[in-house]
Amino acid sequence: MRTSEPRRPRSGGRAARLRRAAWRALLVAAATVPVAVAHAFDLDELMRILADVRSADATFIERRTVNQIGRTLESAGRLSYRAPDTFTRETLRPHRDKLAVSGNIVTMSQGDRSRTMELDAAPEAQVMIEAIRGTLTGNRSLLERHFEVRLEGPAESWLLELVPRDVRLRGQVAQLRVSGRQARIREVDVRMADGDHSEMLIEPAISPAP
Amino acid sequence: MSAAPDPMPVAVAAARRPEAWLWVLAMVAALVVAVRANYVADLSAFLPAAPTAEQRVLLEQLRSGVTSRILLVGIRGGRSEKRVAASQAMAAALRSSGEFRSVDNGDTSAYGEAGQFLFDHRYLLSPAIDARRFTVDGLREGIDDTVALLGTPAGTLMKPVLWRDPTGETIRLAEAMLPAQAPRSEGGVWVSRSEPRALLVLTMRAEGDDLDGQARAIEAVRRAFAAAAGSDGMQLEISGLGVFAVQARAQIRGEIERLATAGTAAIIALLFVVFGSWRALLVGTLPVASGVLAGIAAVSLGFGRVHGVTLGFGTTLIGEAVDYAIYFLIQSRPAAGLSTGRGRGYEAWVAGKWPTVRLGLWTSLAGFSALVFSGFPGLAQLGVFSLAGLVAAALTTRYVLPLLAPDGAAALGLRGSLGRATSRAAAWLPRRRVLVVAVVAAAVAALAHEPAAWRGNLAALSPVPPDALKLDASLRADLAAAEAGILVAVEGADEGQVLQRAEAAGARLDALVRDGALLGYSSPANLLPSPATQRARAAALPSREVLTANLVQATQDGPLPFERLGPFIDDVESERGLPAITRRDLASTPLAAALDAQLVSPRGRGPWTALINLQLPPSAPGAQAGDSEPGLSDGNRLRAALAGLPDTRIVEVQRELDALYARYLREAQWQAAVGALVIVILLGAYLRSATRLLRVLVPLAASEILVLAGFAVAHAALGVLHLVGLLLVVAVGSNYALFFDHLRERGDADADTLASLFVANLTTVISFGLLATSDVPALSAVGMVVAPGAALALVLSAALIGVKPRAESAAHG
Repeated sequence: MRTSEPRRPRSGGRAARLRRAAWRALLVAAATVPVAVAHAFDLDELMRILADVRSADATFIERRTVNQIGRTLESAGRLSYRAPDTFTRETLRPHRDKLAVSGNIVTMSQGDRSRTMELDAAPEAQVMIEAIRGTLTGNRSLLERHFEVRLEGPAESWLLELVPRDVRLRGQVAQLRVSGRQARIREVDVRMADGDHSEMLIEPAISPAP
Repeated sequence: MSAAPDPMPVAVAAARRPEAWLWVLAMVAALVVAVRANYVADLSAFLPAAPTAEQRVLLEQLRSGVTSRILLVGIRGGRSEKRVAASQAMAAALRSSGEFRSVDNGDTSAYGEAGQFLFDHRYLLSPAIDARRFTVDGLREGIDDTVALLGTPAGTLMKPVLWRDPTGETIRLAEAMLPAQAPRSEGGVWVSRSEPRALLVLTMRAEGDDLDGQARAIEAVRRAFAAAAGSDGMQLEISGLGVFAVQARAQIRGEIERLATAGTAAIIALLFVVFGSWRALLVGTLPVASGVLAGIAAVSLGFGRVHGVTLGFGTTLIGEAVDYAIYFLIQSRPAAGLSTGRGRGYEAWVAGKWPTVRLGLWTSLAGFSALVFSGFPGLAQLGVFSLAGLVAAALTTRYVLPLLAPDGAAALGLRGSLGRATSRAAAWLPRRRVLVVAVVAAAVAALAHEPAAWRGNLAALSPVPPDALKLDASLRADLAAAEAGILVAVEGADEGQVLQRAEAAGARLDALVRDGALLGYSSPANLLPSPATQRARAAALPSREVLTANLVQATQDGPLPFERLGPFIDDVESERGLPAITRRDLASTPLAAALDAQLVSPRGRGPWTALINLQLPPSAPGAQAGDSEPGLSDGNRLRAALAGLPDTRIVEVQRELDALYARYLREAQWQAAVGALVIVILLGAYLRSATRLLRVLVPLAASEILVLAGFAVAHAALGVLHLVGLLLVVAVGSNYALFFDHLRERGDADADTLASLFVANLTTVISFGLLATSDVPALSAVGMVVAPGAALALVLSAALIGVKPRAESAAHG
């Protein structure tokens, strides 16, 4: 597995720009979130530290509230990510299924059924997958192509708020909130337009020896 | 070819001679047939008859399948939102225009009604339905699968129907019907992945052979675009076989008119200059007119339709058939000093020259009859047209012209000076024999160094310009249109059987999909399961009591409460009694267009065909549009997977097409060789002398070599129609060689005969030269070979056979 060196800001001009941006972010954060911000932290910086992660494995627990049946459903499984663009989500309980994305190809498996499709042909699926993949890869332009992006909090406890740009998609997925600590994603919350809501808690897994 | 015979002399002559009566009757009959003939100008002449089942599937699709009714439309340029809006506006306008069976732009909101129909039949259509599906375990699994989707975007589809369809058959149905490869979707419409372009796919109502209807539909697209796009800097791109066919028709029609008009005008002018008499002119065009009429009538009777390209070639018959009239008119003039009386000039011609003309006719017929057996309808028509035309023209010359102009044409116009000039040339040319031999030797060397490049493909025949083909390929790539390089064709006796066989093939393909060898496939059986399968599913539906009992158990402690699932029990009950749905039931739904494309009913008798499109993984060779070599290992693997299924074949599109055209080129080469051999045998039988035979053949062979060398030096590829051209050079050129041989045997060459040969050659070169300027590749290919070939055949015959022009004529020089 290849791991690359973290990149750092090089020039004083860039640092100054970062500081200015950080001040702006701080002011915005101060105005909207009544939480003291310890350290200036902006989207570029977050993207940079996320982009340095070349592979990751994790376990997840998801709680999904579905109003129609008046219940919260719980499921659990594994996540894995391999740079540049491969991402899988494998649900282990209550039922096994698997979603694998690589480039523009999505494969969904359930039992002995397997179905492949192209991601950009299904914008609803695309919006969900690119939110997670864009964050994992630290791809700011990908995120901004699909979402209004807003970052809150310090590096130790950041929160990325993603609202789909496409009105029609917003009619389904109202908002995604990805939160984490440094390069680690800890939670993905999805709020559907019809009020359904899910939280996915992510714990890093001890990955098997490469 | 439109010159009418002068009625008066014909009538007078007819009163005297029975053969004239016969001729008039034959011409009237031919005229009737020609007037009532069905003239077409589509692409059918370029599509060969298919010898193998794989190729038959392919060509049937090109000729009359849905393939021939599909239009691919791109809206290019401008801003992205404007393109999306234009796509929606165009789609709405086209849907209401009535010209289209289906209008797809990626917007599925209009599919509500069809969706309802499918939903109401979901227990017959869903691939998940079997007896196990309604047991306690089966119900529990189905419900769990559905619930797993709730609260995610994938579950949005299920929410409104959850209590009627708790096992999620709607999802299974959608999965089965949606192809794995689809265009990119943006703003709710299809867009290109690589270019600033919104995309639409239209299926015209008009069939592939209804070009007027297709032209109307294409016009409707242009109008809808103009109205939708306004002046926002967007351009319309439109492609498809229909577009090609309509453009080709317009082009072929234009070309035929141009060629016929120019050819007729040029020949009439030439005849007038040569003969200087209206009467000679009218008499001279009579064999041509008879020949063209007879040709059209023969093709119409033999093929049921006359193709525009055949008529285009027909114009060259002007050049060939007018030769007979020229020989007759010039050569029948009573020779000075002979005692034959006035009005008897033709007798000497019939006795002295007709046998030579007749032999020339036989050789031409031998050449053209090779074409009659061609697998290309266009070439076969050309062969029949030429045979009938030449026979009619020769018979008219032999039996009708003597009645109208018994002494040939009066010595007016340029004939005198023409005779002197040709005599001089005929005397001069043999003295330059060494030079001629050197040039031919050089040509042989050039050919040895760089052999002529024979290539058989559709592109060389079809009048579709390369730019149009490029646009077509790019639109298809964007649409991931069912244009994979490889497809599976399944045949069956009726709708039910072919669907059942497609299901069997699908079961084998499923294994390949599971292994990742295939991304997926789209089979008509996914849209419409066979009646047998539907009946089996209906039989698997439990009674209300059984279902209720099982459902109570299955929902215990489950996510969905039993009490709310009453609509599910009702729906299962109501579908138990439903008859299997057939293609007809889907006719008014948006599925019909997709189904028609894949489930092909026979026109008249013949098998039904199901076409299964395969979606290869992107890494596999052959997945890219235009890639002509699907991976061999994949092909073999596919073959192994489908082995043993009845009437199930793998069609590799590009490979089949290439094989088809290569095969026809080889076949045409054989036919040409046989034709050439027959010509040699005929000449040998008539001349009865190896020396004379060789003398006649050498200039012909030398002309062919020079023409071939010209093409080789110019690096121009040769196709089937160049071969036809070479055959024509032999057919036409043998006349010249035979005349020179005849004159040489006789010992003296009169100026009249030499002049007639020159004028005849000039008409041939003019009419084929015009053909060479055509934009229709099929026509220009023949013209480019025959025009220089015929000129060379005359010059080389004069140089290599060598005659002694009559002293008195030569003395003038």
